[in-house]
Amino acid sequence: MAFRDVNARRHIGLQQLSSLASTGRAFLGPMKSHKFIVDETTNQSTLICSAVRLIESLDLTSAAGQLLNETIQAQNKEFKTGLSTLLFLVGAWSSAVVECLQQNVPVSAIVSVMSEGLNSCCERVQCLQISIHDVRKELCSSRVRPNAFECKACQVGCDSLLNPQDLLYFHKCISEPEVISISCCSHQEDDCHFKKGLVSPLVGFVSSASLVKPEGDRSSSVIPGSGVIASSCIKQKLTHSRHFRTLGKSHFSGQQGNFQEYLLKPSADPCECSDLGHLAMALSHGNQTDVKLLQSIVEYQQERAECRGSAQLNITEIVTCSLLGLPESYSCVSQGFVTLVSPEQAKVIKHFKDKSLQILLVDGDLTEQYRHLGFNRPHNVRTVLEHPNLEGGRAGDTWLSRMLDILVTFEVNLVLVKGSVCKNLLDRCTASRILVISPVPRDVLCAFGEVTGAQPVTYLSQLNPSCAGNGAQVELWEASDGRVMDLGELVPVRINVRGIPLLTAVLTTAVASKVQLLEDQFWTSVYRLHHALKDGKVFPGGGAVELLCLSHIQVLTEQPVRPAKAGKEFPSPWLDTPVAEYKSLVLQALASGWKRYLSVVMCNIAKAPSELEARALVDHHLKKAVDCGSPSAYILELFRRGDVLGGGSSPFADHGEGLKVYDNVAAKTEAWRRALDLVLLVLQTDAEIITGPKRNELLNSPVSSEFLFL
Amino acid sequence: MSRLEAKKPPLFISEPLTKDAVCQSLLLLSRIFKSSYGPAGRLKQLHNGVGGCVCTTSQSSALLRHLSVSNPVLRVLTASVQNHVSRCSDCGLFTAILCCSLIENFRSLNVAPCTVIKITRHLLSLCMDYLKSEACGCRVSVDFSSVETLVCLTNAVLGKCVIIPVKGRRVMDSTVLPGLLIETPEIQLGKPLAVKRTGSNMIKIALFCVSMSGDSFSPEEGTIAVRHGISLEMSELNQLLNVGKQLVSDGVGLVVCQKVIHPSLKQYLKENHVMAVDRAGLSLMEPLSRMTGSKPIASIHSLSPGCYGSLKDVSIERVASKRFVHLIPGDTVICSLILCNRSETAWDELKRVCETAEHVLQLTMKEPLALLGGGCTETHLASYIRYKSSSLSTSTFQDLGCSQTQYQLVADGFCRSLESVARSLNHDGGEILTDMVYGHCWFVPSGLPPVSDWSDVVSKCGCGINGNTEDLSWRILEGQSCSPVIQGCPKEPSVKVTDFLTLDCFAAKCSGLQVAVETANLVLDLSYVIEDQN
Repeated sequence: MAFRDVNARRHIGLQQLSSLASTGRAFLGPMKSHKFIVDETTNQSTLICSAVRLIESLDLTSAAGQLLNETIQAQNKEFKTGLSTLLFLVGAWSSAVVECLQQNVPVSAIVSVMSEGLNSCCERVQCLQISIHDVRKELCSSRVRPNAFECKACQVGCDSLLNPQDLLYFHKCISEPEVISISCCSHQEDDCHFKKGLVSPLVGFVSSASLVKPEGDRSSSVIPGSGVIASSCIKQKLTHSRHFRTLGKSHFSGQQGNFQEYLLKPSADPCECSDLGHLAMALSHGNQTDVKLLQSIVEYQQERAECRGSAQLNITEIVTCSLLGLPESYSCVSQGFVTLVSPEQAKVIKHFKDKSLQILLVDGDLTEQYRHLGFNRPHNVRTVLEHPNLEGGRAGDTWLSRMLDILVTFEVNLVLVKGSVCKNLLDRCTASRILVISPVPRDVLCAFGEVTGAQPVTYLSQLNPSCAGNGAQVELWEASDGRVMDLGELVPVRINVRGIPLLTAVLTTAVASKVQLLEDQFWTSVYRLHHALKDGKVFPGGGAVELLCLSHIQVLTEQPVRPAKAGKEFPSPWLDTPVAEYKSLVLQALASGWKRYLSVVMCNIAKAPSELEARALVDHHLKKAVDCGSPSAYILELFRRGDVLGGGSSPFADHGEGLKVYDNVAAKTEAWRRALDLVLLVLQTDAEIITGPKRNELLNSPVSSEFLFL
Repeated sequence: MSRLEAKKPPLFISEPLTKDAVCQSLLLLSRIFKSSYGPAGRLKQLHNGVGGCVCTTSQSSALLRHLSVSNPVLRVLTASVQNHVSRCSDCGLFTAILCCSLIENFRSLNVAPCTVIKITRHLLSLCMDYLKSEACGCRVSVDFSSVETLVCLTNAVLGKCVIIPVKGRRVMDSTVLPGLLIETPEIQLGKPLAVKRTGSNMIKIALFCVSMSGDSFSPEEGTIAVRHGISLEMSELNQLLNVGKQLVSDGVGLVVCQKVIHPSLKQYLKENHVMAVDRAGLSLMEPLSRMTGSKPIASIHSLSPGCYGSLKDVSIERVASKRFVHLIPGDTVICSLILCNRSETAWDELKRVCETAEHVLQLTMKEPLALLGGGCTETHLASYIRYKSSSLSTSTFQDLGCSQTQYQLVADGFCRSLESVARSLNHDGGEILTDMVYGHCWFVPSGLPPVSDWSDVVSKCGCGINGNTEDLSWRILEGQSCSPVIQGCPKEPSVKVTDFLTLDCFAAKCSGLQVAVETANLVLDLSYVIEDQN
């Protein structure tokens, strides 16, 4: 056992936390810088843009690092957002606490003041919460404002990016080409055109035909380039929601088939149909591609929700499929399950055209050796062959033909397998025109089971007539403009059943290293909207909440220490520390976390040239907020004007007043709490004890002097 | 040809306690225990240094489980503390600190170990007699009669509370649910549960503790020869399906299996509207059988209708991201505690605390007594021993075969050890006082300006029973010097405050005291360590 004292004054654990966290600074705020993580041994590098991926690639063998990783993973598992906030605050609070320790503040005083301070702040910021209902109303009312300038912006976007080749080039140069088209109209006051600008240029162009068309009119001619201008002329008649609806349609328009009914149906309530899309945009902080996808998802799910009566975003009914080789603007949402198959299988699909298929769901592997989980293979059973049958062939063949027989007997055309599939069986099935797809996620199996009536089986031998379902359709997946998919080895296909709740977000990119990144970003957007609906409320974004926390801490600092209240919670005088004299010092430490957070965000979005100036700006606004008497009212007013931290601190302030940015309530406060929990947990730790074989390694290492050995 | 190596002679180490390495290790161990002690005790991060999970704890049970102590002398110490913890759950650190402290104090005394041992035994008996007597000033009786409903509940819950882990949630989200929860990750939410019911609207349940995965034909030893074309798996499956048929014809609505159920059997049961839940786990079997009145079925070859139990209802419960089947009994004899905490490492610590609390409650129900906590019992006991040892008759010393001086020396070491446990409660600087009237322990936080009169800075004693209302002539509780002896026996506090007292478990503390003294005696008595070097 090796024992290391953390050194009470210069707490090693807290220092480790703050140095680990400092690596994630660039991910704070809406303008995230990408990072390359280079593996020195293999020289391979990964492109990352989130705290989770960063933490995954760091060396975290220290106890503090390990706990940091656990904390980040827990937040990621639940929210998929708030991770860079969490990481940053862990660092900021760790260093602030170390400063407290250096000024001889007792640990117990830091723990009690900081956790009470955070609780109080979390209560205080509740007054800023805006209910989803109000947000939707507001977004509805603010969006139908036609603007003569918007066509220009869009046209610029379209013209400059007419050629997909250009676009590809564009993608290579700048990771977020959409930003450019927005900035063309930086002086505008209306937010409509901005939302327009969100539509990624190519799709904006491709869909221009449908933009000008009145709903349902499919005969209008497509005039490239002119569509956008025309759209602005009749814009007053079109509601904004329709505008988005048509966009949504455009994703599907390339898919000739008979599953489009739901997209063509006009929405019952034009106000309801896409304001969740607006909310998604307000939550996404500038991630346009995903907003577009989310709008399609929301529309589809909302339409179904009218039958089911729930206004939530159902995450289990969304899957992703990453396609490498197409520009990002081809990303879209398809009904059903989109996945990649081999060219041989793709040939089978051609025979399936417009046919209603018999579907089978297998929730294990499709191999001879596979047994369900918990089945222990017998070791000592020997098979005795008494009459060798030379013509019988190998044992494996009998299994293969038996399985094939079963599939043929039940006239199964399509098998979705959760696990892996034996190569020989796959080939035999393909030859017999049975499409076997694997691996298929559990939720997808469930979704297909629900609409087709198929019951998942573990073994094919379980099959009885009630297990198979039908009504499935398979076709080759095509991009919105019908562009031929030449993705090398694999071909994207779409499996669909009428009425299936399942949607696949097809994420396209031409850059291999962005595949993971895009997928992460997409899920973040999905989870943000999901949690906003689940919470039923959102926070105003752009630093409003943090600013109110800062002003509230000033109030707390001036409040006298509440006497004897501690008695109820902590019956022991051993925990009854003299908090009064350290209170303001510790509260300042708590405040410094948010202050640094705001100033780094402002630096990252280039609203301030340096952290120091950013801090001065924060102080300035803080003073104004406090001076005006009611900081929350002041901050809400700033937010209403779309400019919380002044100087156009909202990342989109350039693009006109009124584009609101919202934050998730639970994800944000949970990130704060998790960050402080971790810092205080490490603070209360005074020693690291390393057990196991690592001890001897340490004993002979240069750092052995730091340790005591038992 | 193999070469035989001569056996190495065993290594003899005499007087192990005089060895430097042993002393260093003892000091380190004592430091770990002391710094973890009490409500403000510091946490320790225990991990393997190569990315394994980190255990953050200040609980003796977890510390001792992870610490790898190689020295045989220290192993004696850790083993007896671990043994105490396994019996009482609580007071592990008290025992460990007291034991280390006793060894340290007696080691430096110029008194023969056998004499020390005799005297400490006598001192221990003085302590135990006092603690068990009605006159004991640091003992309070726990009156459960005023909380009858709580008693009913605790009576029912004790030992039958199943802890369900939910990580990533706030501690405040923890709840207690009647009945049992079985985690079923694959169950679908939102679908109504169609469970077959009996005539009396109850659900008939069959509980299997044998694996139903269809692999039990495999013999433990030996080999089975099977003719080609015969599948043992198939015959086993047929057997299982026969069990299924009987379950269906017996009107069973719910089948719970400790292990895995074969998918084909599951499918068969589902088609016949029998709900099947597998992988319930061993720990749930006993409470499940108690709650439902069913006898766990240990073989798939014999099913007697008497095995079945009954259940009031079944529902699906969702906690955080986990899905559970909730088995609801007719009466709430069994509860499930859904214990939440944000992080894994903090959850583990919380679970240990809950288990300890449950055990302490059990011990206290059996023996409704408690000792004053917050260091007061230790300082009070030290005052009592100081007073008592100064008034012993000479015949006592003769019986023990020691001089009065020797007795005084050992008694002082004993008292200082007790007091050092109380002192270990302090982790942020400041002073520890004791008063000359009740012998309680008082804490003066650090950072206060120096005062001439302690009564200006103290407010309450450690356990919270005494306030700063009269002059109690405080003095600093120091580790080294011989402390003045109070005149007369330390008093029992006159006013009984019952709110917000800090109390310790009587049974656990008494056991800890005994274990500590006896272990220290054993360690002091070690004269040789014989190590086999082969």
